[in-house]
Amino acid sequence: MGMPRKLAAKLLRAAIRLAPPQSREWAAAMLRELDFIEGDWAALFWALGSFGAIFRHAATEWRAYFTNQENKEDQMNETGKKAIGFMSGLLGAFVVVLCALGVQLLAEYLFPTLKVAYRTMTHVTTVMVIPEAIFIAVAVKLWPKRGAVAAGVLFFAVAAGLHVFIYFARR
Amino acid sequence: MKLRMSPQTVLVLDAFLEEAEDWKYGYDLSKNTGLKSGTLYPILMRMAERGLLETQWESGEPGRPPRHMYRFTPDGLRFARTNASANAGSGLGQVAMGLNVLGLVEA
Repeated sequence: MGMPRKLAAKLLRAAIRLAPPQSREWAAAMLRELDFIEGDWAALFWALGSFGAIFRHAATEWRAYFTNQENKEDQMNETGKKAIGFMSGLLGAFVVVLCALGVQLLAEYLFPTLKVAYRTMTHVTTVMVIPEAIFIAVAVKLWPKRGAVAAGVLFFAVAAGLHVFIYFARR
Repeated sequence: MKLRMSPQTVLVLDAFLEEAEDWKYGYDLSKNTGLKSGTLYPILMRMAERGLLETQWESGEPGRPPRHMYRFTPDGLRFARTNASANAGSGLGQVAMGLNVLGLVEA
């Protein structure tokens, strides 16, 4: 066996070792064909061409793999962003209701003669009706660009509305 | 389109269409088509990935390493026959024939 043929065999064995699993079978196929090629230089040229083909095939596989990974990361980032948006909408709505409740307690403290705490409709208007109207307005405004935040606000609005509905239904 | 029809691809399809039922070896295909390994194998890989070609390791005699063999799948045979008849009189078929006649794709 001449030197060019030995070099050809070494090159293709290296291709088998280095190639990703999907390309390995092809590299092995190219190596097997070496035994049937007449002429040492022809064998070397065969190996060089084959090595190039394997390299291109492997590059395609790697590119597909990395593109797939990037897409997965993008999808995960997108899901994370949506979850954070939804939670911030929920938290924002909760803070608005807490503020409304704070305003009512402050009014009760500053003007005890009004007896705000004993007036159900005042309580419902301050803590529920006004915040619900704000939530709907905010959700409509945010929906086109920040759908996740709007969904969080709406979720809280529906939950709070159901709470009030059940309260009155049970009475 | 299932496979990009370059003149080299047409040559490979033609080589497979000769005795289409038989298994063929890489080096023999290279000799018959005049394509170098760096051109032939990417075409074979694409055809196999698209389900046009089935591959198999030859169960060789003891002591001899097996060889990789190729032949059309039923889909591949249909595809080749359709495209061979479509390309026969077209510029692509003429280019493929010309490459072979002029020896421009000779190994």
